[in-house]
Amino acid sequence: MAVASGSEVPAQSPPEGPASTSRALGGGALKIVRGFLTLREGSIIVVAIVTAVYFSANAKNFATLSNFKTLLPYFAPLAILGAGEVFVMINGEIDLSIGAVYLLSPFVFYKLNQAGVPLVPAVVLSLFVSMAVGAINGFFVAVIGISSFVTTLGMLFTLDGLTLIISHTAPVATPGTSALHVNSFAQVFGGGTYSELIWALGIVVILQAVLTFTRWGVYTVAVGGNRLGSAEAGIRVRLVLIRNFVLCATCAGLVGILEAVRAVTATPDPSGSNDILFQGIAAAVIGGTLLRGGSGTVVGALIGALFLGVLHDGLIIQGVSANYLDLYLGLAILIAMSVNVYVQRVRTGSGLG
Amino acid sequence: MAEQGLPTEKIVAPTSAPDDVLRVEHISKSFGPTTALRDVNLHLRKGEVLGLLGDNGSGKSTLIKIICGFQKQDSGQMFLHGEPFEPKSVDDARAQGIDAVYQDLALVDELSVYHNMFLRRERVRVPIPFLNNALMRRETRKALDDIGINIPRLDVPVARLSGGQRQAIAVARTVSGDANILLLDEPLAAMGAKEGGQILELIERLKEDGEVTVMMILHNYAHVFATCDRVNLLQDGVIALDKPTAETSVDELNEIVVEEYRRARAAAIAEDTAAQAAAAAAAAATAS
Repeated sequence: MAVASGSEVPAQSPPEGPASTSRALGGGALKIVRGFLTLREGSIIVVAIVTAVYFSANAKNFATLSNFKTLLPYFAPLAILGAGEVFVMINGEIDLSIGAVYLLSPFVFYKLNQAGVPLVPAVVLSLFVSMAVGAINGFFVAVIGISSFVTTLGMLFTLDGLTLIISHTAPVATPGTSALHVNSFAQVFGGGTYSELIWALGIVVILQAVLTFTRWGVYTVAVGGNRLGSAEAGIRVRLVLIRNFVLCATCAGLVGILEAVRAVTATPDPSGSNDILFQGIAAAVIGGTLLRGGSGTVVGALIGALFLGVLHDGLIIQGVSANYLDLYLGLAILIAMSVNVYVQRVRTGSGLG
Repeated sequence: MAEQGLPTEKIVAPTSAPDDVLRVEHISKSFGPTTALRDVNLHLRKGEVLGLLGDNGSGKSTLIKIICGFQKQDSGQMFLHGEPFEPKSVDDARAQGIDAVYQDLALVDELSVYHNMFLRRERVRVPIPFLNNALMRRETRKALDDIGINIPRLDVPVARLSGGQRQAIAVARTVSGDANILLLDEPLAAMGAKEGGQILELIERLKEDGEVTVMMILHNYAHVFATCDRVNLLQDGVIALDKPTAETSVDELNEIVVEEYRRARAAAIAEDTAAQAAAAAAAAATAS
């Protein structure tokens, strides 16, 4: 009971009354469960854990350290992409160009390095290029007034094309990396075993803090929830939109470089980057972020990405034929989301939180 | 009173007084082909409560949005304490002491009661500018207690609250700020008698303090005569009547409004007749 009421807000306790004392024990356990589901991400955490337990029981190599290392690249990049996308989606918009930014940024990095810019400054400059892409997206959406779906679809094709042009459709060796040996630059920027995981966790923690504890976060929710009302209250709606597009594109550009460093080469393959785009959005949506805006969490995107990673990795370990993989993945997403929605309905119906 | 007729084309009362805090001169505003405000002259005297009346769509809300910096007039000028007043934004007007409660309340359903109370005026900590939720929660509780509005939990999203509670939050938000000119667009619309009475009481108290000047859009004449010192009637894009409440009556206000309907109806009938005549003429032409 003490644990349960501790997790609640103090204001909740007075109206409780004496009714709960007799069944304190059972009620307490129930309350913990309900309190947990009160979290916006609660339901997807349950689904992710159930999935992991299922694979642990059914695939004997699933719950091992080496498999965890195999799993990391499946989910860490998606967590970062999803984290950025969450901000745009809470605004009630969508960014379809994250895959294209992800594709372009390692080639910008490569070109800058070829032109004589040292490694780390070249990374920073490529991130500035990604930011500029985000600012252009934001400008078209917030100032010109084109829907974000159309704007970022246009940006997707533009950047895919640009990448093909500047790369001459040929893969390049990622600067600062070598297939034989992982140097300190590569260690930090995606080459190290846990490098992407650390980036992902760091970014998720920082962005969740921004969303929950700062004005930026409050305004992001406000603009997504009631755009006219936000403007009437004096919030600079355009600025809020633009900076969230910038944030989202920066995350995508960073992931592009991390992945290119990890893979040692950068490949100009737009179909691969489209896949990344949809998985990034899936991570955000599975994590409880609403497409209509006003609600969502960064931690949810991390767990959504973890769910996708566990599913992907688990199916492969179980020896599912490659032809069936996408089918199972798709069905699993639909089932997981249905459970998610159902649990959320129970949660809001319960009147908690 | 009624013999005064309909002075829509000329301005009835003096548009300035020595103790004006705000003067609005020759303001006009159109939205595409629709003229909302034609030539509005209006003044607010320090410490008074002005009731702004008018039919639906007469431009009352537009006028408030112009004064509080949300929209810009097409022509005309405003003066705040005698100085030219050209608000660049809502923030700018607020910094100069003008704040508004909008008809749509400008609340964000997904945010908590206290985040809505402090929307755009968030309290943050130093040196890291994290939101000071504890402080905002405390000050929200205090502001609501001052009005006498009871909202048990301040951390629930405002989507969970009743229409009256939401409106109370919007009013409390504006009143508890630093503004000394308050523009209230139908502050009692969604409220029950008890909550509405509390808001009117609050306005009464503000009036007694004498520091705050209020302009309110109201539809209920009982509220107007209970609270307002003076009424302005907005009609056809101009102020058609400007009188102290004591010198007018429900009958006079009603008469003006009824007359407006009568005129509108006469115009509609005339239009209909003209259209019928035209149709008849056309039919006759084709027949021959």
